[in-house]
Amino acid sequence: MHCARPLHSHSEADMSIVQVEGLRKVFGQGELAVEALREVSFSVEPGELMALLGPSGSGKSTLLLCISLIQEPSSGRITMNGRKIYDNGWTGIDVRRFRRENIGFIFQAHNLIPFLNARDNIAIAMEINGVHWKAARKRALELLDYLDLSNRSSALPAILSGGEQQRVAIGRALANSPSIIFADEPTASLDTVRGTKVMELLKRIAREQQTAVITVTHDIRMIEGFDTIYHIVDGRLVVDDAVAESTTA
Amino acid sequence: MDLAIKDVQRHVGKFIATIIGVGLLMSIVLIMNGIYQGNTSDGVWLIDNTATDLWVVENGRGGPFNEQSRIAEESWRSVAAISGVAKASPFISYTVQRRVAMREQQFAIIGYDVFGGLGGPGRIVAGRPIAQAHYEAVADMKLGLRLGDTLHLGVHDYTVVGLTRKAVDAGGNPLLYLSLHDAQEVLYDQDNRARERSRSAETERLIRSGYSSAETQRLLPLLSDGSGTVNAVLVKLRPGASIPRVAADIERWLYLSVYTSRQERNLMLEGRLRKMAAILGLFRALLVIVSLVIIALLIYVLTVEKIKAIATLKLIGASNGIIVRLILEQSIVLTVSSFLFAWVVVQLTYDHFPRTLVLLPHETLASFVVFFIGGMASSLVGIVHALRTPPSLALGG
Repeated sequence: MHCARPLHSHSEADMSIVQVEGLRKVFGQGELAVEALREVSFSVEPGELMALLGPSGSGKSTLLLCISLIQEPSSGRITMNGRKIYDNGWTGIDVRRFRRENIGFIFQAHNLIPFLNARDNIAIAMEINGVHWKAARKRALELLDYLDLSNRSSALPAILSGGEQQRVAIGRALANSPSIIFADEPTASLDTVRGTKVMELLKRIAREQQTAVITVTHDIRMIEGFDTIYHIVDGRLVVDDAVAESTTA
Repeated sequence: MDLAIKDVQRHVGKFIATIIGVGLLMSIVLIMNGIYQGNTSDGVWLIDNTATDLWVVENGRGGPFNEQSRIAEESWRSVAAISGVAKASPFISYTVQRRVAMREQQFAIIGYDVFGGLGGPGRIVAGRPIAQAHYEAVADMKLGLRLGDTLHLGVHDYTVVGLTRKAVDAGGNPLLYLSLHDAQEVLYDQDNRARERSRSAETERLIRSGYSSAETQRLLPLLSDGSGTVNAVLVKLRPGASIPRVAADIERWLYLSVYTSRQERNLMLEGRLRKMAAILGLFRALLVIVSLVIIALLIYVLTVEKIKAIATLKLIGASNGIIVRLILEQSIVLTVSSFLFAWVVVQLTYDHFPRTLVLLPHETLASFVVFFIGGMASSLVGIVHALRTPPSLALGG
């Protein structure tokens, strides 16, 4: 195990979709200050599958919150799609708008809107982004077809299985054709078979749509074939070569 | 996509139950409005519907409705003799509780000069006015009597010859019109046995006091009841007559109090009706506040129930406008639907209320505006909670 690989060279960095440099997050002040992230740096390229592993309290959720532009870091730099988003402070960009146009989210508990059916759960992400409802519904149906769920389009989340719910959530994450998908423990509430299927689907999406997928997980069995695997230990990002080798073998 | 409606559709049964609950509360507010106005309307109905210019009552009294007033029946002749008076009529009004139309009822008996006098029923909806000196009555429909029915009052039977609608006294009791002397009889005359007992007692008292039998027989009628009294004399003035001057003359020469109909009305509004109006007004205000607090709590609960969905929406980039619209729209749907339900309930039931309900359209509209604005304002609690919810709530298990 060694510290995270250094940033790509300048030419490589230009290829990156996500570039994080020297990210720090400190909670509290003075003697009570807790450094949750310590000089975290990494970059992700289009179509790359990246996994973040770590035990509870290691800082992986804080990192996810910071790089998904939900929580403000204490210092460092975040660049996405070539746009500087955070440079020791927000750069003035409308982060909520940036999020809906460029980032897709997949959650541990699926987080489908309970009063919307499968089609509308996908369409809402597009409508929020200004897509006309007719076009949004058409694309939602296409995505459901892509996810083998076309026969469940009118079903409410309550009557979908866990695997189906997670596939609808993936559809919603893909709705606005994002360049980045953040997945927070996407298989935690699924059994091994369904979890594996979801991860296979994410790999397929990364390859076919050149979408960078950053997954936070604690289950190393689910990240087989991932391009990059990071461990977070006490707020520091380290590459676990053993895990990387075993999963890419 | 209308998120508020989609959410309502998912919980349609629960939402309807909520609307019924809030609607019933609002219907109580509307009914209180009706009772409030009905109380005032009933309180002055008899004054407004008695075609008279002046009310002459016992000196220093605010009668005949706000306070008891008793004056000699023959006073009307003296009043009629005052310059400027076109017509003066004796008038009697009192509340009784008797068994009428198979049930115990409280009603007011109005006695008036049936031969052209003032104070009789203004509008008869069925039958005719009283045309005989005795044993005829005009009854309000609320008493449950029909034309031709007879009712037993005191020692006589009275036949209903006419019917009125919504003719009530200040307490909202239906009116029964009788000729003046019939009304006096019902008020003062006892039945034969009681009269005999009273007569024996008086005779015994006079004899014990040393009066001879002959003197006792002569004095007995003088000790009898006050059946020669009335409550007021109603006055119609000649055209061009000065009201203040006529009133001053009556007060000065006859030592009686005089009120115009407007003064009589004010006596009621500022006296007997005032406290009730204040109580009803307070109840109305409290009910509105309670309703708005309940709406606020309901909207808050509805918001909390979907707080994770709201966090998810914020995380995937929904603007604050979408979140506010989701909550505000539900608040509006809840408030408007509940008010509509309340309005229907009141329309279907107000005729069956024991008290007169007067529903004024502008007051109903004002109530709607209060609930609408209040409902939107109370949804602020939910909106603030939703806007403060961090998107990070959507993450994690």
